Amino acid sequence: MGAVTELHATRTNPPWEGLEGTERHAACVIAAREGHRGALDVLVAELTPLVWHIARGAGLDRSAAEDVAQTVWLALLRHVDSIAEPRAVVGWLITTTRREAKRTRQRSATQVELLPEVAEHVPSTEPMPEAEALRTERDRQLWSAFHRLDQRCQELLRLTVLAGRAEYKVVAEVLRMPHGSIGPTRGRCLTALRSLYDNGDGGR
Amino acid sequence: MRTMDDYEMDPAEQEFWLAQVARIVDELDPVPAGLVERAQFAIDLEDIDAEVELEAARWADQRPLAGVRGGAPGTITFFVGDLTVMVNVTRTGEKQRIDGWLVPAGEHGVEVRVADQGSKTTTADEGGRFVLTEIPRGTTQILVRMNGGKPRTVVTPTVEL
Repeated sequence: MGAVTELHATRTNPPWEGLEGTERHAACVIAAREGHRGALDVLVAELTPLVWHIARGAGLDRSAAEDVAQTVWLALLRHVDSIAEPRAVVGWLITTTRREAKRTRQRSATQVELLPEVAEHVPSTEPMPEAEALRTERDRQLWSAFHRLDQRCQELLRLTVLAGRAEYKVVAEVLRMPHGSIGPTRGRCLTALRSLYDNGDGGR
Repeated sequence: MRTMDDYEMDPAEQEFWLAQVARIVDELDPVPAGLVERAQFAIDLEDIDAEVELEAARWADQRPLAGVRGGAPGTITFFVGDLTVMVNVTRTGEKQRIDGWLVPAGEHGVEVRVADQGSKTTTADEGGRFVLTEIPRGTTQILVRMNGGKPRTVVTPTVEL
């Protein structure tokens, strides 16, 4: 890439400028290690949607998912010097978010078990979307069907949508999603979604 | 035995259902407004030092704050490892007062950062109690700097107070 050589000539540009995907993320990690303010902000701005949808796909409510997202970024701040491979930071984020989401979920499960009187008052296990987001009956059905999928499918389908976008191509690489193909597992998840949607509305 | 549900989707139908998932991702369940900025604030810590262990605390699940994101005063708790910190927030006019209690007790440094409004620090007494007054309202993060033994700094995710 000719752009890389040009960049070295212009010292005022941040080292990740003009780079994309894996190269850009790696440049941000290396710059953060060297104390470049703003390097982690770039990762936070560009990869928070990935972290968010993994946390939500793991069944956390919006408030818990927000805490997990921030905790993951604090963990990156803490571990930025020890991540063995800066090019693998997206994989590190995916793993860390899954682990943190699981920990949070297990902890709430334990608390509910300890307090059955609380469990009675938990209205629904469906993590609600934005309060006003579900405007139509169709959206309500879609939401309800989606959250009856197993969590593996929920995460996989959310990430499939992200990975299909140019700025998240690296997600497809990390998850080894073949380009332009849905693949059998995602096909099964989509079929399950359709089936839950069709069966969810009382004989449409 | 195959049922109707098992038949393979053709690519056009896959596209249709993927578009439904895209609708969930973008419209029904978008990244919360301001989350990127709150996360950037949370990690914008001045004195991060390789010698000091940084630990992310977790807010306790049952937050008595009525809709904690809305920010009514009350008691909230965060913890990490063996440290638990209870924080009681009371409104004092436009500002607020924070009474806290570290368990186990220790004369540790406590800092309250509010986005765009600076920070205030104090030191807990030997019983683990601390008080900070005249704290502006906003996106808030609490840090506990633990001395004695291996130095470590505990930081929370932000909370709207």
